Amino acid sequence: MAITRINIGPVHPSTHGVLQLVVDLDGDTIERVDPHIGYLHRGVEKLTETRMYMQNPPYMEKLDYLAPMSYDEAYVSAVEKALGIEVKERAMYIRVILLELQRIASHLFFIGTIGNDLGQMFTLFMWAYMDRDKVLDLLQEATGSRMFYVNMRLGGMLSDLPPDFEERTLETLDYVEKRIKEYESFIEKNPVFHERMKNIGILPPEKALDLGVTGPVLRASGVQYDVRKNSPYYVYDKLHFEIKILTKGDNFARYKLRLLEMRESIRLIKEAFKRMPAGDALGQPVKLRSPPTKNKIVCVSREAPKGELMMYLVADDQKPYRLSIRSPNFINLMAITHMAKGLRTADLFATLGTLDLVMGCVDR
Amino acid sequence: MLIDSIVKLFNSLLASSNIAYNLIALIIYAIIIFLVLAVFGYMFGWVERKLIAKAQYRHGPTYVGKYGILQNFADLVKLFSKASLDLDNADSILYSTALPILISLTIFTVMLLPIFPSIQATNISFGLLLVFVVIAFMPIAIFLSGYASGNKFADISAQRSILMLLSYEIPLMLVIAAIGLISKGYNLQNIIAMQSNAYYIVLMPIGFAVFFIAMLAEIERPPFDLMEADSELIAGWMTDMSPAYYALALFLDYSKVFMSSLLISILFLGGWLGPAPIPGAVWLLIKAIVIAVIAVIIRATTFRMRIDRILRMGWLILIPLSLINLIITYIVFVG
Repeated sequence: MAITRINIGPVHPSTHGVLQLVVDLDGDTIERVDPHIGYLHRGVEKLTETRMYMQNPPYMEKLDYLAPMSYDEAYVSAVEKALGIEVKERAMYIRVILLELQRIASHLFFIGTIGNDLGQMFTLFMWAYMDRDKVLDLLQEATGSRMFYVNMRLGGMLSDLPPDFEERTLETLDYVEKRIKEYESFIEKNPVFHERMKNIGILPPEKALDLGVTGPVLRASGVQYDVRKNSPYYVYDKLHFEIKILTKGDNFARYKLRLLEMRESIRLIKEAFKRMPAGDALGQPVKLRSPPTKNKIVCVSREAPKGELMMYLVADDQKPYRLSIRSPNFINLMAITHMAKGLRTADLFATLGTLDLVMGCVDR
Repeated sequence: MLIDSIVKLFNSLLASSNIAYNLIALIIYAIIIFLVLAVFGYMFGWVERKLIAKAQYRHGPTYVGKYGILQNFADLVKLFSKASLDLDNADSILYSTALPILISLTIFTVMLLPIFPSIQATNISFGLLLVFVVIAFMPIAIFLSGYASGNKFADISAQRSILMLLSYEIPLMLVIAAIGLISKGYNLQNIIAMQSNAYYIVLMPIGFAVFFIAMLAEIERPPFDLMEADSELIAGWMTDMSPAYYALALFLDYSKVFMSSLLISILFLGGWLGPAPIPGAVWLLIKAIVIAVIAVIIRATTFRMRIDRILRMGWLILIPLSLINLIITYIVFVG
């Protein structure tokens, strides 16, 4: 049969931003998918070279607007490492708590968008969005803003947690846990969901490792890799949590793994609150001049909600000489070419949805 | 009463041997049906928005008019005030006629349905079959529209409409055959009269289920809205439509809901039959609205099916079920 080439995006309801896919179709079967990126390229890496160290976090947050704090934190850690600044212990715990809250918020958003990608009339999206808002309320209470926090400072935080933050967090987490159960019953009792998700877009572990995908996408293929466990940072080695893995590597596994991870994050936060020491958590105020650099080249690796995020920083005296970001989304996106081959047209979008892309991070 | 006398005059016009009188009466009736469809479509659009909003913890339209009831009107004004598109690849004659054809087919179908014993365009012995002959043209008109627009998304959508036609039309006809068996003919008024003892939903529950599912597919409601699959095909066969045309397409969407819920209430829920104080036409409307609301609730909760699964469901589940229904009906009520 003749091959039809269709252009999906950059303006399309379910490419999660300005992603263009050039798709070759044979009837209803996908022959080839060619992602074209760069519509949201802002040159952030270059931009950081013109700013002082602590002027850059706001730019980092705009990379992944669904999990800004992870990016902010990774950058600030890289700078801390370059300048040789120790992070206070309480600040470490606060960072872990906020990062895990951020992970929950990001995964909740995924639960919502997967409903849309499967053609559901925004119901799941609104539900998940509402619950994400509850988590954002917490983050707002802790940092003062809902979306772009900029609350990391060298060696600590901008401010300590508010006094009743622990109770409110535990309350919200209980609520979220209950809601996760509700999502499970709402989604998994629906036979259409099963037949749209199971055995579709399979990514075998060897291929996943070849492609370099990370995060939930890799773990859903059965590879036990989580930066929080494999090379622990902050206090992750003191806290008890499991890396959840699923072996199937299909769309359903990728969806399910995020639910499991949310539960694990909830456990983590609860434990972190118990172990959190009292004391000072405030970092250095932002100054015009930073302390002299100790390390010329540093690389920091973090488990962002979407995968492994690396900040490779070549430090200059007062500002980055070069900052290179390993964007998890960018590398996960490359898997679509492999996963989509042989799928039906409708499943392309479900598969793309389970990669949970944010184009701001792909294009940088 | 005034209404009674108008209906009587109307029926005498329809029944008269003068073709000119017949035509005038039919045209007037078509205009009345168009207005009814417009009113229903408008109200149904509002109810759908409100109901889906409720399911999603939203308020839905609130600002324009009381409870946002004028929101759809505002949207309509917006759509009609936008510039229309010139399509380079479109077959303009085919493209501009497909939608009016679809709308007139819908109006024609509703005209053939008996709203009340005395209100029907024509009461013929094979009325039900004629209804489905008219309905079967709709996917073909959608195919023409999608094919003629020259857009690749619309083209895929057009192909899907034909594929779906293959999967749901056969079970639909088999259920109709069972109805014909049970009521000894395809006269719509007779079908309703036969239900005075027991509605057909009680006599053939399997048939009702098959018919309801196939009808949802027929009118492109979720989970079978593959032709305008917004997350895949943007808007399917309506992707390149001019705004004013799109408003008509929305009207068509709602009218098809009305048409199919009327049809289901007539065939399975006893049409105008109901306890006395409420007039029969109102009973029919109530039943139709209940069916339409169920369709909305399904829309709010379910995921979209894939085209190959729909084909498989049509051939492997719906056709055997409708055959079983036919056989049971034959054994129990005829044999």
